[in-house]
Amino acid sequence: MNNTLLIMKREYLERVKTKAFLFMTLLVPGVMALSFGAAFLTAQHAGQDQHIAIASNDAPLALAVRDQLAESKTAAIEADVIAPADEMQQNALIRRVNDKQLDGYLWLGTKTGEATAVQYDTHSTPDMFVSSRIQDAVDNAQVRMKLEDKGFQRADVDRLMKQVTVNTAQVKDGKVVTSDAGKSFLVGYLMMFLLYFSVTYFSMNVARSVIQEKTSRIFEVMLATVKPSDMMAGKMLGVGAAGLTQILIWAVLAAAISVGTLLTHGAAGQIHLGVSPLQMAAFCVYFLLGFALYSSIAAAAGACFNAESEVQQMSIAIVLPMLVAMLSYGYIESAPNAAYSVILSIFPLTAPLAMFLRMLAQTPPIWQIALSVAVLLLTIYGTLWIAARIYRVGILMYGKRPTLPELLRWLRYA
Amino acid sequence: MQIVELNSISKSYGAKVAVDKLSLTIPAGGMYGLLGPNGAGKTSSIRMMIGMTMPDSGTVELFGKPFERKALERVGYLPEERGLYKKMNVQAQLVFFGQLHGLTAAEALRRSKMWAEKLLITEALPKKTDELSKGMQQKIQFISTLLHEPELIIMDEPFSGLDPVNATLLEDTLLEQKRAGKAILFSTHRMDQVEKLCDSICLIDGGRAVLQGGMREIKSRYPRNRVLLEYEGSAKLAENPLVAEAKDYGGHAELKLKLGADAQELLRGLVQQVKVNKFEVVEPSLEEIFIQTVGGKSDE
Repeated sequence: MNNTLLIMKREYLERVKTKAFLFMTLLVPGVMALSFGAAFLTAQHAGQDQHIAIASNDAPLALAVRDQLAESKTAAIEADVIAPADEMQQNALIRRVNDKQLDGYLWLGTKTGEATAVQYDTHSTPDMFVSSRIQDAVDNAQVRMKLEDKGFQRADVDRLMKQVTVNTAQVKDGKVVTSDAGKSFLVGYLMMFLLYFSVTYFSMNVARSVIQEKTSRIFEVMLATVKPSDMMAGKMLGVGAAGLTQILIWAVLAAAISVGTLLTHGAAGQIHLGVSPLQMAAFCVYFLLGFALYSSIAAAAGACFNAESEVQQMSIAIVLPMLVAMLSYGYIESAPNAAYSVILSIFPLTAPLAMFLRMLAQTPPIWQIALSVAVLLLTIYGTLWIAARIYRVGILMYGKRPTLPELLRWLRYA
Repeated sequence: MQIVELNSISKSYGAKVAVDKLSLTIPAGGMYGLLGPNGAGKTSSIRMMIGMTMPDSGTVELFGKPFERKALERVGYLPEERGLYKKMNVQAQLVFFGQLHGLTAAEALRRSKMWAEKLLITEALPKKTDELSKGMQQKIQFISTLLHEPELIIMDEPFSGLDPVNATLLEDTLLEQKRAGKAILFSTHRMDQVEKLCDSICLIDGGRAVLQGGMREIKSRYPRNRVLLEYEGSAKLAENPLVAEAKDYGGHAELKLKLGADAQELLRGLVQQVKVNKFEVVEPSLEEIFIQTVGGKSDE
C-alpha cells in the first residue's frame, strides 16, 4: 500500500476509534440544539405562573394593564391591583416581595392620565423577557384607554389592537416555498456553528498531531522511509476523513429525525429540518475547502513549535478570520448581497463560512460561488506549497522557535 | 560491494558547519562505529546518509548506486530518541512500520511475532506503548528496525537504557545480523561496546573525521606502551625513570611508559622491588585514543 494511504489510514482509525470521537459527534449538536431550544422556550414562556401586584393612583389604567398581562395563552401573569396606592403601601409591597409572597410589583405613577413613572421591582434578577412584556402591556393599556376616551367602541379597539401574524416564505427558483423565519434562523445558526466547529477543531487536530510526533520523535523513524510531503498529506487526509465521517453521521441523524417526524405527523413532504440536499453538499464542500486551507496552515505552525501549549496559544490567532465570519452571521443573513458579505465570501480565509452563510440566505450569483471556490483552491495550493517546505525543515528542528527570516530561508531550501 | 559510500559530504545550518567533507565506506558484513562527542555531527551525517536531509556538497551512495528513495526499503534506522506512538497498540504499530517499509500486513504480523518471541517480549504485543517500560520500548523499536530484514542497519545509541541482560541479548542479535552479511552502522559514546563489536570506526569531531580506519589498524598506530601490573609490596611507581604516568591503586596499577622505554627493562627492575603477580603489556584502549584525539575540546 502507498505510504500516504497507510499514514492516512492510521490517522483516521486513531481518531474514529476513540470514545472521544463518538462523544463529540453526538454531544456537540446535542448541546447546541438543547441550548437553542432552552432559549426559545424561555422566551415563549417568560413570566409564566408569576404572581405580581400592580400599584397605581389610576385604577382604570392598572386594571387595563392587568387584563393585558392575563391575555397571553402561553404565559399568563396573574396580577393584583392596588389603587389608589401610596408610599406606605409601597413599603408593604416591598416586604411581600422580599418574603416571596409576590414575584414582583409594578409601580405605575401617572400624571393627567399618562404613565410617567413606571417601575417594576422583583426578587429575582430582572428578566428581559418579563420586563418587555410588562412594557407592551402598559403601552397597549394606555392606547386602549385613550381610544376609548375618544369614543371608540370596545369591539373596534379590539380589532385595531389585534396583533398581526406575519407568515414568511422564500422565493426559490421562481417558486414560493413556505419557510419559517424562526426555524431557518435556528437551523442556519446550528449549521454555521457546526461548520465553524468542524473546520477549526479538525485543523487544530492536525497541528496537535504534528507536535505530538515531533515531541515523541516519531518523525525520526518515519522520515527514514517516508517523504515529509507524503507524511503531511497522509496526516491531513486522515484527519479530514475523520471530520467528514463526523459530518456524515450528523447528516444521517438529521435525515433520521426528519423521517421520524414525517412518520409521526404523517404529513408527507411537509415537515423537514429546513436543510436541503444542496445545502448539505455545500456544507461538505466548504468543510473540505476550509479544512484543507486551515489544516495546512496548522501543519506548518505545528512543525515550528515544540510543545502543545505553544500551539494552543497560536490556534486562536490562526482561526481568527473564521471567527470574524462567524460573528458576521446576523449581518450576512440579513444582507447577503451587501459589499461586506460579498467580500467576506470571496476572501479565502473567511470564504468557507461566509459563502456557506450566503447560500443559506439565498443562492448567490453562480459567478461569485465559482470565484470563491477558485480563490480558495488557489490559496490552498499556495499554502500547501509553503506549508510542505516549512514542515519538512521544521519537524527536524528542536528547541528554539524559528524567526521569520529563518522561515523564509526554509522556503528556499532544496 | 560497498553498502554505504559517503564522498566528501558537507552540511551547514546557517553559519554553523555541522559536517565538513566527511567520507566513509561501510562494506557488507561489516560493523562500523561512528564515534564522537555530542554535537560532533553524527546525527547530521546519518540524516544525510538516509536522505532525510540533502548534503550541501558531496555525494551519498547506497548499495553501489547514487542515493534514491527506493533504497530506503533496504535500510533500518533506529534513532537515538525513541519514536513510537504512545497510545497505539504495539502489535499494530509494528505492522504499520513494517508496511511503510514495503511488507504486506500479514508478513509484518508474522515477523513481528517471530521477533517478539526471539527477544522474549511477546507479552508486550497486545499492550499500548505507554504501558511498557523504557527497556521494553527499546526492544520494540529494535524489532521495528529489523522487521523488513534491512541490508543496512543504522543504530544510534541502541543500548541506552537497557539492563546488562537485555543489552547482551541485543548485542548477540546484532552480531547475528552481521554474520548474515548485513552492514551495520553504530553510533555511540560507549567505547567499550564499539571496541567489542566494531571492525572499523570513524571518529568525528567538529564535523570532520579526525580518525578513521580498521579497529586493529588504528590501534596498531599507537605504541604498546601501557602496562597493567598486579603486585605485592611497596613500589614508588611514579618515580620510576621508565614510567611517564602511573595510576597506582595499591596492589594493582596502570602504567604508561616513557617514549622509547623498554617494558622488559621495567619488569626486570620491578621484580627486584616487589612480588609481581601480573605484568601485561597492552595497547591503548579506544577510550584513551578518543580522549587523546578529541582532547578536552568536545564542547567547543
